[in-house]
Amino acid sequence: MWAVLKKEIKSYFLSPIGYVFIGLFLAMCSLFFYLDVLNYGSLQFENMFYSAATILTFITPILTMRMFAEERKVGTEQLLYTSPRSITSIVFGKFFAALFVVLIAELFTLIYLAILFLFGTPHVQTALVTILGFFLLSMAYVSFGMFASSITENQIIAGVVTIGFFIITWFLPNFSTVFQPLSLITMFDKFPLGLIAIEEIVSFVSFTVLFVLLTIIVLQRKKSVK
Amino acid sequence: MIEVKNVTKKYGSFTAVDNISFNIEEGEIVGLLGPNGAGKSTTMNMITGFLEPDEGEIIIDGNSILKKPKKAKKQIGYMPEGVPLYNDLTVKEFINYMADLKMVQRNEKKENVQKVMEQTNLIEVQNKLIRNLSRGYKQRVSMAGALVGNPKILILDEPTVGLDPKQITEIRSLIKSLGKEHTVILSSHILSEISQICKKVIIINKGKIIAIDTPENLEEKVKDENAVTLTVEDKDNKIEEVTKQIKGIKELKLIKDNEDGTKDYVIISEEKIDIRKEIFEKYAKAHITIFELKKRETTLEDAFMKLIENKDEEGNK
Repeated sequence: MWAVLKKEIKSYFLSPIGYVFIGLFLAMCSLFFYLDVLNYGSLQFENMFYSAATILTFITPILTMRMFAEERKVGTEQLLYTSPRSITSIVFGKFFAALFVVLIAELFTLIYLAILFLFGTPHVQTALVTILGFFLLSMAYVSFGMFASSITENQIIAGVVTIGFFIITWFLPNFSTVFQPLSLITMFDKFPLGLIAIEEIVSFVSFTVLFVLLTIIVLQRKKSVK
Repeated sequence: MIEVKNVTKKYGSFTAVDNISFNIEEGEIVGLLGPNGAGKSTTMNMITGFLEPDEGEIIIDGNSILKKPKKAKKQIGYMPEGVPLYNDLTVKEFINYMADLKMVQRNEKKENVQKVMEQTNLIEVQNKLIRNLSRGYKQRVSMAGALVGNPKILILDEPTVGLDPKQITEIRSLIKSLGKEHTVILSSHILSEISQICKKVIIINKGKIIAIDTPENLEEKVKDENAVTLTVEDKDNKIEEVTKQIKGIKELKLIKDNEDGTKDYVIISEEKIDIRKEIFEKYAKAHITIFELKKRETTLEDAFMKLIENKDEEGNK
């Protein structure tokens, strides 16, 4: 796993992808920090994360769409899958590399929290719970993006499928509350209230496990293509 | 070293590889030969564990590639068709990554990477990005990726495609020298290449093995046939009629219709009859002008074409 993880993280920062993702995310966050927090003279750092979650929905594919699609298109998957490494370790390597980039972006948001300390004492616990929730959300997002990338050799399709899935599940609860557990972004909503919502944490984690497993299964099946 | 037992692979209703079996001994350089789409790459992809066969078994150095993939894959260095590489890495980074993937021990890694770069002549470009390299260099980087970790078996899928003649000679001599320490399988549709490098040839067509033999023996197989190639101008289209009158003719085949109105033919006759004199005289009488008349040397190419044609005919019967 470490070999793939190391190389993938390096690749994110050798190409513009890592910088574009982090840069775009932080640029948008700065805007939300101004609009949702400073504008109201508020100390509630967590308020900007509702908008940040929306942005994450749209920029996650920047990181995930190439993960397996590009390997397949260029043919480098042959190097990966003929090496003694198992598919499971390759999938985990790539998954954690993408997650690492998201984590870096999220840690940068602590700067905004630090800025708030100039004006008063924001509620640190709530802020940390929000960041935890946001990390869980991005973990689920990355797992689905990775899955979408494993089913096609076209990065654009992988990206569109990812965003499409997120948007559909976002609005499905409007039709019926039956779909409530599918909507990742509404699951996140409890965290900025300062709640460590067990039900939501379990949902995020099981969603992630499901799509990591599905990715492994898809790639295993590729070996016995009919 | 490599045992392929009754292996079949289908893509939908298309059978890419049809019940093939062969053995490769340690230290052999074996050529996998066949026209495009014959099943060479599919076979190699199954040996390397990239694809799973639908039926049959492949054993690498005592380990089944399906049941003990880790042990089996450690013995193999693979250079896939079309040399896929990570373009955003430098040469050295790429080879290091391949060493990591192949679980090369940390204390041996540096030395090993240095060694393969020397073998493949990449020292000068080691810090260049792969995307900026020429095709010839990319081929060598891919070869270095296969070599790192010192695997017992090297599998090279069309290693000389897309290279200029000088690079081809370089890669060939490299493969030859590698054959001293490794078991090598290489695929190609270029026959001269195989006969230069390999001691054993496996000919595949339409997913089936047609022949396994040494290049010399294969050439020998078709040597007893006499063939003459000729270029003629035949305004009255009498060539077939006239040729039939010559004794010992087996076949007259049109090869090419040239733009200047001439046609290229091959005439195959029975063994040990020289028909050139008779052709010359008879054609002259029939006002067929001969521009060129040549006795054909038998090559591996003939053996190959003949074997493939024979199998096709058998299949049609």
